[in-house]
Amino acid sequence: MPVFPTLFAGTIWQTNVTVIATIILTGLIIFVVLRVGLARMDMRRPRGLQNLIEWAAEFATNMARETMPTEQSVNFILPLAFVMLLFLFVANWLGLIMSITVHFNPHISVWGLTPSDLAGSKGDIELFDSPTSNMSMALALAIMVWVISHARGLRHPKQWLRHFYSPSPLAVIEEITNPLTHGMRLYGNIFAGEALLGIMLRAPFALHWIPWQLPLIVLWLFYSGFVATIQAYVFSILMCLYVGNKSFEGHAHH
Amino acid sequence: MGGVFQVGTFIFSIISFLIVFFFIQRFAFRPLAKMLEQRRQHVESQITEAEKSREEAASLLAEQRRLLDEARKEAKNLLDAARVRADEQAREILLKAEEEASRILEENRQAIVRERDEALAAVTQRVAELSVELTAKLLHSHVSPELHREMVAEAEKRLGELVC
Repeated sequence: MPVFPTLFAGTIWQTNVTVIATIILTGLIIFVVLRVGLARMDMRRPRGLQNLIEWAAEFATNMARETMPTEQSVNFILPLAFVMLLFLFVANWLGLIMSITVHFNPHISVWGLTPSDLAGSKGDIELFDSPTSNMSMALALAIMVWVISHARGLRHPKQWLRHFYSPSPLAVIEEITNPLTHGMRLYGNIFAGEALLGIMLRAPFALHWIPWQLPLIVLWLFYSGFVATIQAYVFSILMCLYVGNKSFEGHAHH
Repeated sequence: MGGVFQVGTFIFSIISFLIVFFFIQRFAFRPLAKMLEQRRQHVESQITEAEKSREEAASLLAEQRRLLDEARKEAKNLLDAARVRADEQAREILLKAEEEASRILEENRQAIVRERDEALAAVTQRVAELSVELTAKLLHSHVSPELHREMVAEAEKRLGELVC
């Protein structure tokens, strides 16, 4: 079981530093790419990276339009949808591109980890990984979306109250399962891809020299990349869907 | 550890994601959205303008066509009017010429009649005088001037009756 550098170890506020750092790094990558692409932004003659960014923006817009009831709610969710799409795409790919692990003597206490923690991972500490392969982080995003959707729903309190029982009271159960599956789906897909990749990378060569797992790794890498891309899209579109479901202002004519 | 729920990771993930979101939204997405909106408006205005100018061109063309038609009609009218006037003038000239001709003919005819009358009167007078002289000579007698005049008048009268 891999371990990560930890802040506030031993308290309830225990924090995975790798996750926070990779979130910031993901944001930085997106920020720099967008700024570079839009540095010489030209309304009339888009070129190179600007085309790609515009395509992404258009993709996010279409995604939001398909799931949101009104143009007003589309404009509300569009920045978040755009950022979420890019963020998850980059974040999901981070762990596939590389992972950094440092090896420590498992008998010392380092970065908030006790010797028993280190012993569980044979002294390996992960310094670089997909932030989305952490359950807490994936659930954090899902519950953030859940909070946003209800905050938006509360702008129309009567309809917001009614939607809990109006088609059927099962909607209350959905309020719990939706954010859970939303986050766990992302975490599960990314974590599984990376876990299997890590296992195959650490597996010993046959007869000490035949890299039998190489074709499997390449195959799994492609598949994981596919899954990472798809999960970024799925998470973003579900976010739009959940927020759209609670945008009551347009339901009258939808 | 990745599979265990950690409250700290949870909270700091949300906070750091929101920070990341804020920066990207503020400094990258907003200019992009602004540019896209600008382009949309630009394209829209271009299309409207193109439509407007096309309509204008169509209306101008119609106007030109109308003017051309009008001019053609006017030219035709002018030509027709000129032709009618020319016809009228020709007819007038012809009429005048006919009138003139008939007037001259009439005048000539009158002149002929008058001259003939005059000639006839002269001849009648001469014949009357000659007949009276002849009668006087035949009668061998003197005729009084009163009788002579009376006889001439009588002869003239009879001759006039005869002639006419």
